[in-house]
Formats: sequence, C-alpha cells, structure tokens
Amino acid sequence: MSHLTPSGDRTASNRGEPPRRVKVGVGDLAVVNDGATLTTSGLGSCVAVALVDPVTDTRGLLHAMLPSADGNASHTPRPAKYVDSGLGTLVDELASAGASPARLEARLVGGAEMLDLTAAVGPRNVDRARECLEDAGIPIVASDVGDAVGRTVRFLSGGDLAVRAADGFERTL
Amino acid sequence: MRVDVRALGACNRLAERGAERAANALGELTGSDLAVEVTGASVATGEDLAEAFSGRESIGVRVGLDGGLEGQAVLAFDAEQIDGLLSVLPGGASMGRSAVTEVGNIALGGFLDGWANYLGRAIDMTPPRYFEADGAAVLPDGALAGDGVFLFESRLDATGTDLDFSIYMLPDSGPFRDLVVGKTATAATVGAEGAGGSAGGANATAVPYESLSTFASLAKRGSANAADNIGMMTGLETTVDVSRLRFVPLADVPSEVGTEPHAGTVFELQGKPSGYLAILFSEESAAAIAEAMLPMEPDQPLGDMAENALCELGNVMTSGFIDGWANVLGTSISHSPPEFVHDIGSATVSPLVASLSRRQDYGFVIDAAIRTEGIQARCDVYALPDERELAAALERLSET
Repeated sequence: MSHLTPSGDRTASNRGEPPRRVKVGVGDLAVVNDGATLTTSGLGSCVAVALVDPVTDTRGLLHAMLPSADGNASHTPRPAKYVDSGLGTLVDELASAGASPARLEARLVGGAEMLDLTAAVGPRNVDRARECLEDAGIPIVASDVGDAVGRTVRFLSGGDLAVRAADGFERTL
Repeated sequence: MRVDVRALGACNRLAERGAERAANALGELTGSDLAVEVTGASVATGEDLAEAFSGRESIGVRVGLDGGLEGQAVLAFDAEQIDGLLSVLPGGASMGRSAVTEVGNIALGGFLDGWANYLGRAIDMTPPRYFEADGAAVLPDGALAGDGVFLFESRLDATGTDLDFSIYMLPDSGPFRDLVVGKTATAATVGAEGAGGSAGGANATAVPYESLSTFASLAKRGSANAADNIGMMTGLETTVDVSRLRFVPLADVPSEVGTEPHAGTVFELQGKPSGYLAILFSEESAAAIAEAMLPMEPDQPLGDMAENALCELGNVMTSGFIDGWANVLGTSISHSPPEFVHDIGSATVSPLVASLSRRQDYGFVIDAAIRTEGIQARCDVYALPDERELAAALERLSET
C-alpha cells in the first residue's frame, strides 16, 4: 500500500516541471503534500474518495473495492480494500501529513453498476462512502457516481478532480 | 508433502516487496518515478513457457543465487524498449551493455534483499551476466525442464518514461519446496487468526505439491478447448498463443487488464470451482471477429448485431473452457448466460474482483490469448476461480 509518497528532490515547484504523478491501485490509497497529481484508473463498481485540505493542499485518494470490512473472513488486513476502513486510514494519514481533519472536503466518484451479475456492489460502495463521510463530518462537495460506465480520475493540486468516463466524456469536479 | 496455496500468497507478497525495492533502486539511478504494476507467481510447464515467450526478444542480466535461495534470477527488458532505458541512464546510449548490466545488478540486488530480509538469511549473488535472448531463452536455466515450475514476474511502470521490465526467478525446486513448506506453517497460523474461526480454516486451501502441476494443465486444456470451439463455430483456424495460470493479488487484476476500451462477455461459473470468466477483446478485434461471424456487414461496428455475435462466441468459448476444467478436475461446472461488456477493461473486471475479494486476497488467473487466422482478432481470457473450491477439487483429484 502507498502511504505518504516521498517526493525526493523532484518536486514540481522548484523545477518548473509537470507535477509528479502518483498512481493509486485498486484497494489502495495514497497521500501527497507536494503538489503531485494523484491518479486512479478503471473505476468500475469500485469507489474513489478524494479528500483535500484546501489550506495546505494536502490531498489523499482512496480506491476501495467493497463497502465494509465487517464480516469478511479475508486473511490479509488491507484497510484500503474497504470503503469504511480505507476512509479511516486515509483521514489518519492526511492528518499525519499536515491536513486538518476539520477542513477536509470530499469528492466521490465511481460505484457504477457495471454488470448485472454483480450489480449491487457499486451502489453499496457509494452508500457506505456517504455514510462514513457523514459520520466523519466531512462534506461531499461534488460527486459523479452510478450509471454503468467506467471512469478514470486525476486529483490535481488545488483539489480539482478531473473525471474521464469510458465514453470519452470529461468533467472536472 | 502438502502446500497451502496461501503460502503462495506469502511468496507473492515477498516478490512484490522485492519488486518495489528494485523499482526504488532503479528510480534513484535513472531519476524516474517507478511503480510496481503487477507481481505474479506462475506455475507453468516448460512447454507452456516456451510457447508464451515465442517471438519475444529480451535484453537483460542474469545472476546465480546461493544461500537463502538457490537457483537463478533474471532481469529482462523487452528489446524494443532498450533505447528508452539507455536514454534515461547516466552515460546514455554510449554505455550500452555495461549500463544495462549495472541497472540489472542494482535492481536484482534490491529485489533479493527483500527475500533475504524475510528469510533471515543472506542470499549470495554471482556477478551479473549480460544477455540478449530470443524467446524463452530469457528464462532462468531449468525453467523449460520439468513439469511444474514456479516463476515470479513483476512489471514496473515508469511514470513519465516508457520503461518497464520483468524479473524472473526460478529457485531450484528442492530448496524452494522447503521454503514453501516452511511458509505453510506460518500461513496456516496467520490464516487461523485472521479467519476468526471461519468455516474451512487454513487447511481448506492446502493441496498436495504434486497437484500444483495440474494447475498448468487447467490453463492449457481450457484454452485449447475454447479455441477449438471458435474454430468449429466460425470455420476460422484458431490458435492459443499464451496460456498460463498465475497466482496474483486480486487487486492487481484490473491494472493488468489495462485502461484501454474492451468489448466482450462475462460469465459467472457455478460448480466446483465457482467463479467468473471474462473474455475481452480490444474494440478493433471485437468488431473484426463479430463481422466475420455475421452474414452481412453490421450497421455499427459494435452495435446489437455484433453484441449478439460476441455473446454467442462467448458462450461456445466458455463452455469449451469449463469442459476442459471439468475433464482435468473430474467435477461438473456450469455457466450463466453471457453478459456483454463494452467499457474500460479494468472497470469491467473490477466488480468481479470485488466479488471474489470478500473471500480471498489472491486469485488464480488463467491468461489465454486466442488468435484467429485470416482476420486480426485476439482476445484475453481471465478466469477467476474461487481458491478454496479449486483447492478442494485438486485435493479430491489427488485422492483418486
């Protein structure tokens, strides 16, 4: 799992280069505070939760597969696999990286109903994300969820979330 | 001797950590950001490996291993990417062979450190040897002999630069068997704690070592049957290019499918084992094969007519695939009606992965690339069986 990803000496600001890009895999999360762009691709029924502290530009992105860690007999603890445990971990890591939990705002993407075979997973992921964010007192400022379309997101410095759908439609949340 | 298939999970995590170290070492050397995309452990026969690597040219280094692990490790770049690699290295293209050797040495050292830490024993590396190899000659010595070998592959992605490479490690079977058995005890303990008393416990995934080579035949028989069925249905000559069974973290499967648009069909499997099967074509391939199957040119490349054709094709391929499994395992497996999919590849498989993730973190992925002659069409088959049910089927097989 990625945590605060080290920027080494290659920060964007001091060299005028394009910002560093940090990929977040499925069931994974990452936190940055150096202006890097966080990306995650191929969101189907999974849900992406993007959190930003707009004052410090500390940002985190979670790509969770399943709604809840409860009742799962999985043998490897991997908090980012689940919306609830992943969100808790993400908030903790943001706080460690300099974000104020009270200032966090959320953007929510994904949770599509990709297949009839597994139709319930996407909406349940979205519902769980809304519940957990409400419990944590984090407002959802924008969302692009549901439908039957895959999405790819880029979480940019400043907090904008660029969402590209499989049909080529792009929007910024 | 029994092997817990979860022990393969421990080995896989180790390979993943090793690959991360290799990525960091290489990233520091080249000034690029490198990320580990996929790490997989595969079980394959020499014959399958030879087929899988035919037509590929590789450049890289190999080292011999002694101590904590014995055998050989290979770091390989695709020959087509070598210019990209040299352009980011200090010294550039003028360094050529010595630069590749140095990169290989550093990255393999990083990779093996991860294993040595875990094992608590040093692993000695012989000096790196540079090679340029055609086809399966890239693989460690001994990979093509025998009938069931473990191989660890990692693919790295260089953000901003087109650069990725694979690490192959084929520990000599004797010491590696001991390692797997040693891990069995650990995995069983961890499993029992983590399971919280769930039905089956850790032993539910233990299979006799000898059964592991049966995995390879699952991949092979399934895809060969599927290809035969396409041939019968379309009249086109159809061949299987690649068929391998790998043990990978489920979360890596979507990124392996990639973010390009795909079209195809998805099935739910019922029986022993249950699971999912996805047959995915690139958009161009899907349109081409649908057109070849239809009596007239469709109005739209991937419209309703093409969808029907692809569903029908998916049906015959899937029934071929699971007949192959059922023959190997001596079980009965059925499948749901096809569900047509047309979307970002990784988004299509993510709900399947999510569904299996409730019960397991790792999956057996069968990759089969099936190619039809005469028209440009190629598809990938991702078979994702339930690991406990697969282990149980293999167990029964060994008792008969």
